[in-house]
Parts: sequence; structure tokens; C-alpha cells
Amino acid sequence: MSTRSRLALPIVIVLGLCARLEAQGWPEQTATLFDGRVTLGGEATATVAPEDKGHFTYTDYERSSLQLVRLGVAAAIRPIDRLTFVVDLRAEGDTSGGDWSAIPVALYVRVRPWRDRRFDIQAGRIPPVFGVAGRHIYASDNVLIGTPLAWQYLTVLRADAVPANADELIYARSYGWQPGYSVGDDGYARGVPLATAFRYDTGVEARIGDDVSLVSVAVALTNGTLSAPGLRSSNGGPQVSTRVALHPSPAWVIGASYADGRFVADTVRDGLPASQSGGRYPQRTIGGDAEYSLGHVLIRAELVAARWTLPVLGPPPIDNPLWSTGVSVEGRYKIAPGVTAALRGDHLGFNSQTGTYLTLPWDAPVSRVEGGVSWAATRHVILRGSIQYNSRNRGPIRSATLPAAQVTLWF
Amino acid sequence: MRAAAGVLAGGLAMTAVSAGQPRGASVRGRVELPHVPVMVERRPASGELGEGPPRDAAEWRRAVVYFETAPKGAFEAEDVHAQMDQRNETFVPHLLAVTVGTTVDFPNDDRTYHNVFSLSKTKRFDLGRYAAGRSKSVRFDRPGVVRVFCEIHSHMNAFILVFTHRFFGVTDPDGRYQIDSVPPGTYTLVSWVEGAVRDSKSITVAPDSRVVEADFPLR
Repeated sequence: MSTRSRLALPIVIVLGLCARLEAQGWPEQTATLFDGRVTLGGEATATVAPEDKGHFTYTDYERSSLQLVRLGVAAAIRPIDRLTFVVDLRAEGDTSGGDWSAIPVALYVRVRPWRDRRFDIQAGRIPPVFGVAGRHIYASDNVLIGTPLAWQYLTVLRADAVPANADELIYARSYGWQPGYSVGDDGYARGVPLATAFRYDTGVEARIGDDVSLVSVAVALTNGTLSAPGLRSSNGGPQVSTRVALHPSPAWVIGASYADGRFVADTVRDGLPASQSGGRYPQRTIGGDAEYSLGHVLIRAELVAARWTLPVLGPPPIDNPLWSTGVSVEGRYKIAPGVTAALRGDHLGFNSQTGTYLTLPWDAPVSRVEGGVSWAATRHVILRGSIQYNSRNRGPIRSATLPAAQVTLWF
Repeated sequence: MRAAAGVLAGGLAMTAVSAGQPRGASVRGRVELPHVPVMVERRPASGELGEGPPRDAAEWRRAVVYFETAPKGAFEAEDVHAQMDQRNETFVPHLLAVTVGTTVDFPNDDRTYHNVFSLSKTKRFDLGRYAAGRSKSVRFDRPGVVRVFCEIHSHMNAFILVFTHRFFGVTDPDGRYQIDSVPPGTYTLVSWVEGAVRDSKSITVAPDSRVVEADFPLR
């Protein structure tokens, strides 16, 4: 099948679905079965954009976030009061002709032990409690097509392979799409973002309070880390993550997050010298987020600062923790009923490491500005257009201007 | 729904009505509906960290009964106010029927933000986000069906039916309705439920009628 056919087919399918369902009339209430015991939701999204040769927008599913085709179905099954099973299945491909994948993004049980207390426990493949962008996974939650850098951009770090020295790390700068290292898995594979918005971790989470409480607190114990979540533990210990959110008024949400978990995989640790194999090598991440909204305006800002400690090998050794800080600020304004404009500024920075000859940030700092408009043609059909400018101070491709268009159908 | 919107616009009735007749009969009856509450379940969102705030059951499902064509002289815009509350993440009432020219107030009685909007052709509006204790208003100048939603809470939805005349009634929880001061004539009476015309029937109000019964049984 030609690239053009691959690109056209999913768009035709999504547009066909839109037209058919519009003609039949949409159910305006939540789709339910068995007297409300089962509720259903779904989304179909197709995105087109030119090829991102600089890999600025690639995700840890190895495709561009500007070329996603996504079909998702979510269900909440409540066999008895205070017990809910949540499943969110997603099939994902891209309009550039890559392979398709299908996974349960979320698969967990939610228990509310006391009917009148705002205390919930969730166990299984659960959403991240850290920050906010990681829980806005679907296009219907977002105006802009792109994802904040901290939650998407692939750094040169890998959990299954680590650089033997600082030179090897510095040499890989800007090649987050496929860094290769000599310790651990010796092949080339994608790096990790600071935190991923595209996969959920596995574990258990508890939350006290909710969106209308003055304070809500969520704590989770999971197998992986924010950057490398997993179905099963592969790094010798769980991650602890937490978020405290303040709701001083309906206009404001202010959050602070923290996560600490072992990052380096067991397979790497097992191959380290005896003096290093007992190390914990964690990823520690702090986050802050704030949202203000009133009338037709919404402003949202998020900071994610991650620190990784790697085995000290060398020479020259990587004897300082690796820091990376992502900051994004987004503003939205509703121009007219169904029409919203948004603008986001984004930056991802890295601390310096000293190699044999140079002291440089361990990965190439990258910035992004994205602007766009979404138009709800009807309540269930949303069309988006955006353009983003990416710049990076290193690598064969140092900037990219990427327009994109997207159609989303949801119910 | 488009068909219903056209019907709500109505046309001048062909019925014989004496213009000076201030009083008339009451048309009343019962629309038989399954006695189930309006569904207020949330759309499943896997990114939630827990249940949302507790909510009461919403009001019972209701219907509107209206005249497909109204008597002459019945077409007059009224400058009145009606209200649709936002309470427990539910629009109350779920179904509101008004005449052209009515201003509907949308007070927020919840502790959280709401953002009332409609993309209906009859009336497109977006009131933005506003907090508890505040209210915003929309005037409805065209007849038709308006679907109302909250942008923040996707399970919140309601209907506003805008008529060119006053000959309509919303059923109570038992399905009963009453339309008063109906001049003598022959009319088509329509029952409308959750976005669609469900049934219609012809009735005749005689000059000496006080009450005309018209039921809509469940089919």
C-alpha cells in the first residue's frame, strides 16, 4: 500500500464515521448498558502532518504525535456500588505508514470503601498521579495537537542501556530517537521522555479528596518510573509518586508532585562491576502545576524537573546526577461557541556534564511554540489545525516548522 | 430533531378562533413514560484518580406536549425570564419549554465551575466558566430545539424548546400536562420526548368545552 493510501484510509474511515453518526443523530447522554452499570465512551482521531525528520514530536510509541491515528474505547463497569472496573483500550497507528499497536492503556479496579467519604483506591494499570498533562491523553481533552515536551520529547536516556562514560553520553546529544550505549542493551533504541503521557504504569493508587475539595492528595506505588512505566517490575523496586492539589476557588488549581523510583533496569545492573551493581540509580522528579480559568480564558502552566543518577563508570565518569527541566505555559481563549484558540510555549533544558574535552548540557536543549485553533463542527466532531516551531541547539536538524490537522470524533 | 424544530416554528392555524375570546378550554392528559430518571452517568475517563463528587439522582424523564399549529393571534414574543439551574452536575430542569423572546437564566448552584454552551442552529452560545452563586443569561429569539451542554462535565445535557406560541405544557413526574385557555378549534397535538416527536393526535375544542382530555399511551 502506498504512503498516500495509508494516509488517506484512516482519514476516510474517521470522516465516514463522523458523517454516518451525524446523519443518525448522536446519543447526547453518556452511552450506558444494564441500567447504568456500564458506561461507554470512545474516540477516533486522525492527524496529518509532514514528516518530522528531526524527531521533535516522536513519542515512546515510536511515532510522531502529529501523525497519530487513534481509536479508543473506554468502559466503566460498576457491578456493585463503590466498585468500578475501568478499561480503556486503544489502537494506534500513524498516517506515515508505520505499524499499528493495540493495548489497554488503562485497566484497573476502583474501590470507594466508604460511600460518603471522598477516598478512592485504584489498582491495576493506573493513570499517573504526578502532574496533569499525563492524564489528558485524548484529543478531546486538548485544543492543541502536540504534547508538552516534558511528557513527550525523547531524551537520550534509556533504562535498558547506560553510557559507559560522559563522552558517550555527550556524543549522543540530540539523538533521543535512537541512542546507543555500550553498557546494557547494545542496540539502538528510543530514549525516554521525562514523563510519558502515552503509557500508564502498573500499581496501586489512593486519593483523598476530589476536584471540589479544598485539598486533594493522591499517592501511588507503581512498577516503573514516570519515564519508563511498565506492566511488571524490571528495575528492582517500586516507584512512589504523589500529588497534592489545592483548589482555593473554582478558578484555581495548584498542584505539587513528587516521584521517586529506580530507573536503571535489572538487566543493566546485573552487568555492572561489583562496586556499582548495588546502586539504586533512581529517577527523582518534582513537579508543579497551576491552572486558572474564568469566562472564556484558561491558562495552564506545568513544570517537570527530573533527576537521574546513573552508575559511575568512566573515565570520564558521569558523577553528577543528570537534571532535565521542562516548563510549559498554555493559554486558551474561546473565540466563539465551538471555536477555541490556544498557544503554548515549551522548553526543555539539561544540566551540564564534563567530558574529556568539553562541558556541555547532556542533551540538546529544545524549545517549542505551538499555536492552533479547534472547531467543534458539532458537539462530537472536532477539527483542529495547529502549527508548531521546534528548535534545538544541536543535531543534524536543528529546527522544524510543523503544521498539522486533526479530526476527532468522540462520544 | 430538525423536523421537531420546524414544527415548533409552527404556522398560522387554520382553525376558527374568535379574536376577542379571552377564555377557552383546558387540554390536559397524560403522556405515559417509563418512570426512569434522566441518565447522569459520567463518560468513562480513565485518567481520573477516583470517583467524582456524589450526585443525587436527576429528575424524572419528562415530555412536552404542544400544538403543531397555534390559534391566530397566538404569535407574540414575550419578554419573560425562565431558569435552568446547574445543580449536582445536572441541569434542572432537564427539559424547559419557553416562548420566543424568553430570557433563560443559568445560575450555577454547584461548588465547581460549569460552562454552559450550545451548538444548536436555533441558538449558538457559550457562557464561559463561572462559579457558584453566579448566573448568566441567554435570550432565545428563534423557535426550535436547543441542546444545552456543559463543556467541563460531558454528562450534563438538557433541552430547551422554544415556541412561537404559548400552547404547550411540560409533563410533571407522573406524566401529566395541562394547556390552558385554548380557543375553540381543531388542533394537532404533539408529544415530544428526549429529542424526538413521539406521537401526535388531532383534538377538537368545542365552543362550550371546559376540558378536553388527550392521553398519549406508551406504544
